[in-house]
Amino acid sequence: MAWELIEVAGNLTSLQHSTVDVLAAKIEPHVANALIRQLNQVCPLENLRHVKRVRRRIECGGKPELSIILCLPFGPENCKNGFSEHVQKVVETYQLIPFIAKVASCPAMSKEDWEEQCKLWPTSYHPPHDIDGASGFKDEELPSIFDCMRTAIQLSEVGNAAIIVDPSSMQIISKAADQIHQHDASLKKNTCVRVESDGVSSLAETAEDNDRKFLLSSSHVRNDLKMEVSCINLWGWKKHRSSEQKRLPSEGGFLWHPLRHAAIVAIENAAERDKMLFHTSTLSTTKLKLKGDMQACSDNPPVNWPKDKEQSAHQECWSDLSRRNMPYLCTGFDIYLVWEPCTMCAMSLVHQRFKRIFYAFPNPNAGALGSVYRLHREKSLNHHYSVFRIKVPEPYLNGRSDFSNKCCSDSAPP
Amino acid sequence: MAATGFMELALDQAKLALDNLEVPVGCVIVENGKVISSGSNKTNATRNATRHAEMEAIDVLLREWQSIGLDQPLVAEKFAGCDLYVTCEPCIMCASALAILGIREVYFGCANDKFGGCGSVMSLHESSSSDDLTGRQDTRPRGFKCTGGIMAEEAVALFRNFYEQGNPNAPKPHRPVRVDQQ
Repeated sequence: MAWELIEVAGNLTSLQHSTVDVLAAKIEPHVANALIRQLNQVCPLENLRHVKRVRRRIECGGKPELSIILCLPFGPENCKNGFSEHVQKVVETYQLIPFIAKVASCPAMSKEDWEEQCKLWPTSYHPPHDIDGASGFKDEELPSIFDCMRTAIQLSEVGNAAIIVDPSSMQIISKAADQIHQHDASLKKNTCVRVESDGVSSLAETAEDNDRKFLLSSSHVRNDLKMEVSCINLWGWKKHRSSEQKRLPSEGGFLWHPLRHAAIVAIENAAERDKMLFHTSTLSTTKLKLKGDMQACSDNPPVNWPKDKEQSAHQECWSDLSRRNMPYLCTGFDIYLVWEPCTMCAMSLVHQRFKRIFYAFPNPNAGALGSVYRLHREKSLNHHYSVFRIKVPEPYLNGRSDFSNKCCSDSAPP
Repeated sequence: MAATGFMELALDQAKLALDNLEVPVGCVIVENGKVISSGSNKTNATRNATRHAEMEAIDVLLREWQSIGLDQPLVAEKFAGCDLYVTCEPCIMCASALAILGIREVYFGCANDKFGGCGSVMSLHESSSSDDLTGRQDTRPRGFKCTGGIMAEEAVALFRNFYEQGNPNAPKPHRPVRVDQQ
């Protein structure tokens, strides 16, 4: 089994092929229009807008056969025999014989999915290109993409890990592991979380995970380790008692933090780097230029304008070129996550303007990029990234814990 | 103090953000009728678009509670007795964060049509989500109660002020910033 890259927009894991039952009935073609109108009124397909009301099939004899969806499986409360009075009336008027049909529960994300869905019952399909900002990948990028994911997996002995990469130079912008349970900036920043080396490999062999739909193996399959992943076990922090509770946090720091998921910490590190490298603040210059406007429109004139001396210095630095070269958040960058991010992290990646998101393992509990939600398909958002899942070959994962221990901890490998 | 009283304090925080040329959103966190934390949006200054007012106010509390030696279960208990007043509907990220922390109640000013996480785009405050289509069992704890529209006009007026002056940190091609036209 080789490394593999799958666009999540085009191939969702579990949700994509799931179906729901609807009540349908065969109808005569000449009543179709009237029935569609009536049923759309009394029983609109609220949560199944992608599903077409009528299915047309050619029978063996070459005669077209029409079926119509009457209602959803669990109709309104005042239902009788599984459907409402209104639907009952339609059924009686047209002497229909309801049957149960299966339809796709989610809109198709790719043409292949759509074709698959239509075998059950026709759906409508809007190609994802409707949304701006989507960008794919080139085949020659694949080796470096897989390399980045290897680096991320090595960083994630326990919990999630994130690596931000500038794909134009393949430079690593920042790295981070989960920092929810224990966090000491001086010790843990950009380094791996250690695990007991004797625990991992032996327990991995006895791992039991009935959920075979998810590609998991080695230590990633263990439920107890999975529960250490911040994006999976969102409320786990409440029960966790820090072993070093007696200690007090250092100035301005945290001993632990329920929201310091890997992606959030990686973004913070990238922002710090940005501030260091591009500290010539064009913002201050803009402030000066804006000063007049501000005072005109605000009753509370700002108090923190730069002093005159700084003013001239900043104005000298100011040029369109430097402005254009200064990165805006993580525009154009990729992020690699070992686990599919939760809703909080997925939205933080929207805010920070990432271009592409890569993750290795789906997060069935709280994943927001394919498993539970599909945030990147949400049209109202002001930014959209592409999402990819990287399938990691099992042999790689099986050998991983040893390899990882070797490079991340001082202890000798078992 | 009535809800509008706390919202006025949140609006003060939003004005503070505006004065610093930040997107004007502010918030306060209230426990037992007393303001125990406040925050204003700091996304431009930090170059970190996740530093929303809510995140700032949350970090103040986590720092303080840890400095007096509270552990995770105790902090969880504290958050369960806290209410948030924020000038704009929490975004999807912040609404998720508030659910993770288990805050008791959220009062917001104007709705956030583009990325609101408390009803506008997603409803992360509701504990029983409509994931039932997939047959998924919802294991989330109780969500939080959410009330919007408190002093919404004041919150919107601040946004108007901000967008009239232009976001100085926004990428150039996207929106003409007023200074450039001079």
